[in-house]
Amino acid sequence: MAGYVARRLLWVVALLLAVSAITFLIFYTLPSADPAAIRAGRQPTPELLAQIRQNLGLDEPVYVQYWRYMKGVVLHFDLGFSYASDAPVRDQILDRLPATISLTAGAVVVWLALALPVGLISALRRRRWQDRLAMGAALVAISAPVYWLGLVALYLFSKDLGRFPIFEGANTYRPLTDDPAAWAASLLMPWFVLAASFAAFYARLLRANLLEVMSEDYIRTARAKGVPERRVVLGHGLRPAITPLVTILGLDIGILLGGAILVESVFNVPGIGRLAYDAIRQADLPMIQGTVLFGAFFIVVANLLVDLAYAWVDPRVRTA
Amino acid sequence: MNRMLARTLVVLGFAVFAGAIAACGDGEDGADSGGFASGEPVEGQKKGGTLKVTSNADVDSIDPGQAYFQVTYQATYATQRPLYSYRPGNTDEPVPDLASAHPVVSPDGKTVTVKVRPNVRFSPPVDRAVTSRDVKYALTRGFFPSVANQYVGTYFGDLEGAQAVSEGKTRDLAGLQTPDDRTLVMRFSTPIGPTAARALVLPASAPVPEEYARAFDAKKKSDYGFNQVATGPYMIRSDAKGKAVGYVPGRKIELVRNPSWNGSASGDYRPAYVDRVDWTIGANPTVAGRQVINGSGMVSGDTVPAPIVKLAATRHKAQIAFSPLGNRYITLNTALAPFDDPDVRKAVAAVVDRNALQLARGGRLTGKIATHFLPPGIPGFEDAGGLEGKGHDFLAKPAGDAEVAAGYLRKAGFADGRFKGARISMVGTRDDRGSQIVLENVRKLGFDVNFRNLSQEAMLAACATPSSKVHVCANGGWLPDFNDGYAMLFGPFSGKTISPEQSPNWSQLDDPRINAKMDAAARLTNPAQRAKAWGEVDDMVTATAAAVPTYWDDVPLVQSKDVQGVVARWNAAWDLSFSSLK
Amino acid sequence: MALLEVEGLRVSFPTEDGVLEAVGGVSFSVEAGRVLGIVGESGSGKSVTALSVMGLARGAQVSGQARLDGRDLLTLAPDEMRRVRGRDVAMVFQDPLSSLHPLHRVGRQVAEAVRVHQDVTRAAARARAVELLGEVGIPEPARRVDAWPHELSGGMRQRVMIAMALANEPRLLIADEPTTALDVTVQAQILELLERLRAERGMGVVLITHDLGVVAQVADDVAVMYAGQIVERAPAATLFAAPEHPYTWGLLRSVPRLDAPRERELVPIQGRPPSLLHPPGGCRFHPRCPHVRERHRHVEPPLEPVAGDPRHSVACLLDAPTRRELRQGPVA
Repeated sequence: MAGYVARRLLWVVALLLAVSAITFLIFYTLPSADPAAIRAGRQPTPELLAQIRQNLGLDEPVYVQYWRYMKGVVLHFDLGFSYASDAPVRDQILDRLPATISLTAGAVVVWLALALPVGLISALRRRRWQDRLAMGAALVAISAPVYWLGLVALYLFSKDLGRFPIFEGANTYRPLTDDPAAWAASLLMPWFVLAASFAAFYARLLRANLLEVMSEDYIRTARAKGVPERRVVLGHGLRPAITPLVTILGLDIGILLGGAILVESVFNVPGIGRLAYDAIRQADLPMIQGTVLFGAFFIVVANLLVDLAYAWVDPRVRTA
Repeated sequence: MNRMLARTLVVLGFAVFAGAIAACGDGEDGADSGGFASGEPVEGQKKGGTLKVTSNADVDSIDPGQAYFQVTYQATYATQRPLYSYRPGNTDEPVPDLASAHPVVSPDGKTVTVKVRPNVRFSPPVDRAVTSRDVKYALTRGFFPSVANQYVGTYFGDLEGAQAVSEGKTRDLAGLQTPDDRTLVMRFSTPIGPTAARALVLPASAPVPEEYARAFDAKKKSDYGFNQVATGPYMIRSDAKGKAVGYVPGRKIELVRNPSWNGSASGDYRPAYVDRVDWTIGANPTVAGRQVINGSGMVSGDTVPAPIVKLAATRHKAQIAFSPLGNRYITLNTALAPFDDPDVRKAVAAVVDRNALQLARGGRLTGKIATHFLPPGIPGFEDAGGLEGKGHDFLAKPAGDAEVAAGYLRKAGFADGRFKGARISMVGTRDDRGSQIVLENVRKLGFDVNFRNLSQEAMLAACATPSSKVHVCANGGWLPDFNDGYAMLFGPFSGKTISPEQSPNWSQLDDPRINAKMDAAARLTNPAQRAKAWGEVDDMVTATAAAVPTYWDDVPLVQSKDVQGVVARWNAAWDLSFSSLK
Repeated sequence: MALLEVEGLRVSFPTEDGVLEAVGGVSFSVEAGRVLGIVGESGSGKSVTALSVMGLARGAQVSGQARLDGRDLLTLAPDEMRRVRGRDVAMVFQDPLSSLHPLHRVGRQVAEAVRVHQDVTRAAARARAVELLGEVGIPEPARRVDAWPHELSGGMRQRVMIAMALANEPRLLIADEPTTALDVTVQAQILELLERLRAERGMGVVLITHDLGVVAQVADDVAVMYAGQIVERAPAATLFAAPEHPYTWGLLRSVPRLDAPRERELVPIQGRPPSLLHPPGGCRFHPRCPHVRERHRHVEPPLEPVAGDPRHSVACLLDAPTRRELRQGPVA
């Protein structure tokens, strides 16, 4: 197991290296994105341009720049400075991280809390009204664009714009460490909006999995033993039905930690997603590089954790 | 990216609200019948309270030495005192701000002398009186590669020794002399003095204490912005060491009162009514717009999207103000046949349907049909013909005039009044209906057009690079750095600005008469003479039809019911040190 | 009174294409301490019969009677039936790998069978599980109790299934193709085990199989099913010695027999089993029967005792002399 983990960690490193190199290359093949020109003004003298290039290290070959960048990352966890704001990339990402983690963690709790019971009940009451209602609602939630859902939620329920002013609206985010109550209040709507489509998707998936599992031979065995139906479902059916969800959940969390751009932008939650989006819009390489690295890091780590979790829940994988 | 590119991107940003407002165009719901907020200061504005600003965009740089965009200037001008500045309602003449009197320009135009007020203080932790040396350092650092201000090269690049500073050879700009604490003498190698004196309204002239900023500026990229000190009525909230903790990139700016500011005692005309400004960055524009309109104590910090403009203009008129800014035009490349022939250019100018362009932009709320290049509010506007223009026949009819166009083509040698010749290339901007209209107009004359719809960035790159041989750029525009004809016309139309890359002169207009006239106009100091001269330049450029003026934008600004918003007209954005709560 | 008496059992499934009658009125009985083999091709309704008796035929419409010690299981409330399952009647399935829960240790699965019906502590149930694993011949049961199903061989897994079935000392054990998924030597061991347990405990056993060889080894009585019906029923010895139904002949001919001359060819039955959605009229076997007469297409044969042997019944429209004549032929 330890060898396996070590091997996987090496992979993580290799992957991050590849991702960063590719981002670097893509940026340098882009036209019209000369950061020195961005900084130099309307009628830059060649001397000023040269000075800025030298200052930013842009006068060196790409591989030297890449090497220097990676050295900074590895030795000092230094991700450079944003071209747009001149602020250190690392500080900005770390500043945004709590919001992203808050948003993701809360949304995951909400969507699992919704999806598990709904999926379970739907499977057990298959083709009855409970199932049809839940699956109908799920279809709507999956089809609704997140951005639209966010706006509708704001116009219906936010304290400043809503018809039914219940929840805190946009631009109200407060860090958890400032005021936990305000933090939770400001994130309540974003959590639900972000969770909606995930909850629907997971509920459908759980329902489908559970229906499939419930026709497995080992479920028939449990029934043949005289196990009460409730325990057949919860004790025998649920775990195999949920196990495939673990994979998807891990990846979804990884992706969301890389940023949930739409929800972040509608509610103005200052997370990584918007940071990345703005960076791309402004051709801000150090910031793009930083956010891409972070995003990739979360995804590969999530992948690793999923595989480890899988080995933990499924004994067949462990010995294989 | 130069001013052209950067500022044009901002202009094009307004395109977002085109189209959708079209629905509320002329007269519907009374949206066009006026009655909007004036944005002017009023008697007895209330003191105190917190003004909340929401914007989608972040500042381009928090460092006053780098700040360049309108959005940014809202914060910069609340926290910094440049040598001169515009009173909110006045766009003609700047008034002395940090300076104690108007600048004195030598007769040869090569020396500008400025006197600095004696009793302006920096905010803590510097907390000392400002001297002329602080202004010298502020201007000097603009040339440091670690600061790389985007406009000092344009207006102050002819200061003696400026080159050596931008090459990193010295940190002492020889052309800036401080014979005493109150006096700054600027020596130029060219007679640009009168224009440079006008550029002293830009925030690069706001003082920076060298002994404090030196360490920040010595880094590869200066982080003085994150540690700045203020001279204006407000400052970015900072800790004891001076770190501007109130600014978090992409998230927020908190402005608090500057304890070292003593208002009128140091000659500051700004009332600074509110106690605090809480500025949220990254707000979704539609959501934020609604929050401003429905909410309390808020103003919009940047572009307001179409649905919000429509909502405000029809139902909350007192909550929306409009302010003119910049122009738009179609450039015709005078260096390439057939547009080297003025008559062919005039034919194109005559056929363009500017009414349709206005409708495509969103109707009368979004701006006025242009008849020349200087926009309303810039000195020289009236001299160039005001709203009506000087009556050039090819710009006489806003809906275009096929007869006149045919006439010019005949004059150019096309007997049947239709163009025949090689294919021309034209670029427009994706999602811009205006570009499509221009294309249709030009085709009506018989042109065979190779039309390319590009992203904004690609369009700007193509049009600003002469070697890409674009005949027509359908979507040009210019924003002035300050209210002066030079800042509006020199970049896009002086032959001296043509360069192989990032050339702001898309028409490649290089007319010796116009070049000379511009140089002469740039040397004038007397405001009235200067305005008149630039008005004449404007008309000369218009007469060449090197570009077709199409539009003067009006920027919409929204505020909450209980806000008395005051607009800094020269910047077409809110003036935070004049706006108050009701 | 027999241990299990099934009478007129009909099982049908509503499908989109109509009603599928999987079992069309079968009757049989099982005595305590005896093994009834139910033989037939796949799709003949033998497994559905067993599952219906267990109340495990999901989505099926079941009619008729299945009396265990005189109590009709088919009319029991779901919860009462649940109490019967695993305690009075237990079942062993075909594929032990898929029938064991992959995420539960085998000991836990056996112990669960104990705890469902007996009020014992977790530890006691585990101890009982070790004991049961030992009884079904799993070596080192104290260690194997913590094994995962995928760690065991096929034979061991089936032993675990059997241990689970025995947990509450049921009086009737239904084994549905218990050896089909196993290789030949293991098959023999499992059959031996079943035989031993029946003998030791006096259980009634229903052994469902498509393999006459298996039946020959352990069954006391045999019922042959075809297309949802029993076509012949007899004590095993009788059936092998004097089969009456042409389908049974066919089955016997297609089974490799150790005692048969090597050069004798295996003769599979021609054709395929009929669709149960639209079963053929008359004798259901007639489309495949080499001895079919016109009348057989219209008249349904009843299951009747063979003359002179009340324990031997057959559902065939051929008259007895003709059958006897035909049987003399290739079967011997």
